[in-house]
Amino acid sequence: MAHDLDTVRAALAASRARLQPQAHVVATGVGYKTTRGARTDVLSIVCSVTEKMPLSSLAPRDRVPAAIDGIPTDVVATGVIRALQSRTARHRPAPGGVSIGHRAITAGTLGCLVRKGAQVFILSNNHVLANSNDARRGDAILQPGPHDGGRFPDDHIAELEDFVPISFAEPPSECGFARGLIALLNAGCRAITSNTRYRVVSIQPVGNRVDAAIARPLQPGLVKDEILEIGKISGPGSASLGTAIRKSGRTTGLTSGEVQQVDVDVNVQYGPGRLALFTDQLLAGPMSQGGDSGSAVLDGSNRLIGLLFAGSENSTIINRIEHVFSGLGVTL
Amino acid sequence: MKIVVAAMLALLLSWSGAVAGAEVSLSIQEAKARHAARILALPGVVSVGIGRDAQGREVIVIGLDRARPDTQARLPAELEGYRVRVQVIGAVKAQ
Repeated sequence: MAHDLDTVRAALAASRARLQPQAHVVATGVGYKTTRGARTDVLSIVCSVTEKMPLSSLAPRDRVPAAIDGIPTDVVATGVIRALQSRTARHRPAPGGVSIGHRAITAGTLGCLVRKGAQVFILSNNHVLANSNDARRGDAILQPGPHDGGRFPDDHIAELEDFVPISFAEPPSECGFARGLIALLNAGCRAITSNTRYRVVSIQPVGNRVDAAIARPLQPGLVKDEILEIGKISGPGSASLGTAIRKSGRTTGLTSGEVQQVDVDVNVQYGPGRLALFTDQLLAGPMSQGGDSGSAVLDGSNRLIGLLFAGSENSTIINRIEHVFSGLGVTL
Repeated sequence: MKIVVAAMLALLLSWSGAVAGAEVSLSIQEAKARHAARILALPGVVSVGIGRDAQGREVIVIGLDRARPDTQARLPAELEGYRVRVQVIGAVKAQ
């Protein structure tokens, strides 16, 4: 029995939620059923799957039924569907939101373009472009980053220009070894009747405001002044409590959130045992993962308000763009 | 050792309380700034910031890396008259 298009669409709309969560179904739509390689005139609900499998190997709930509400289904193998522009791929010109990194790191996100006089620079984090202080001016920056297959010299896109050094805190000195050593030194001092004594101190951490760096593109044409899925930045902005925000990053793509806290002092881990205190940060809900560092953060009017650099299971931490600009001496 | 720490903390708390009592009200930023370093030094505290509660009032928000009953027991309900909210946000890592 043939059905008209509206009936099939209605049936699909009603059953989509049931079909799509099945692990191997990547798309559903309406189309003519194909039987033994030939297109028929029968409208059907087409389920695109990553690969066709024998029914016996599928759990009953993962099987696409032969018909839904009396409308036949058609199962088509299409493979995994990817966005046309993979953020971890090589982009020339490269927009904001794609993979980038110093040649010694894994990968982060190209935030956006900024200017110092007439010169255009790529903005991202210190720990993305300057290997957490362990880099020199002129070091090679790769797009995509090394973790995403970026290699020198083929993917060399820019040279490190400048970064704001991150001040790391010394871990609190609770280790018995240090105390034992000091006791020994002091015993030595007493033995030689010196008035000098040694003490274990934990160095007072200095508050950082930004994790930021800029890189100079090898040629102006290698970069593009817009951000993937966001477009052009309308100007600089400033966030306050409740500001709706968006970011476009290498790992989680376009995500949105809201500024939940301002004036945040936060201790951020940079690998095991390496801690840095940041002050006057913005805190949003979870909207990022590893590799999204360096993403430009914009408000609802596409004004640039921050630079994403850290997060936890339930939070995203963002530098205020005012501090990024003053720290690096750049503008939009 | 624990007794010494507790005694020092009690002294610190009573001192900050005395200071608060002697002054006219601080802004929430000043209140947060006065206490942030001490609170951040407690085990498991990862952040201190300013947020809003469900009624839209500004509150001081303390973030923990995980549930920390010992630390939570030591956190005040108010700082300089501003309400304190404690929330588990997880360990914060550079991404």
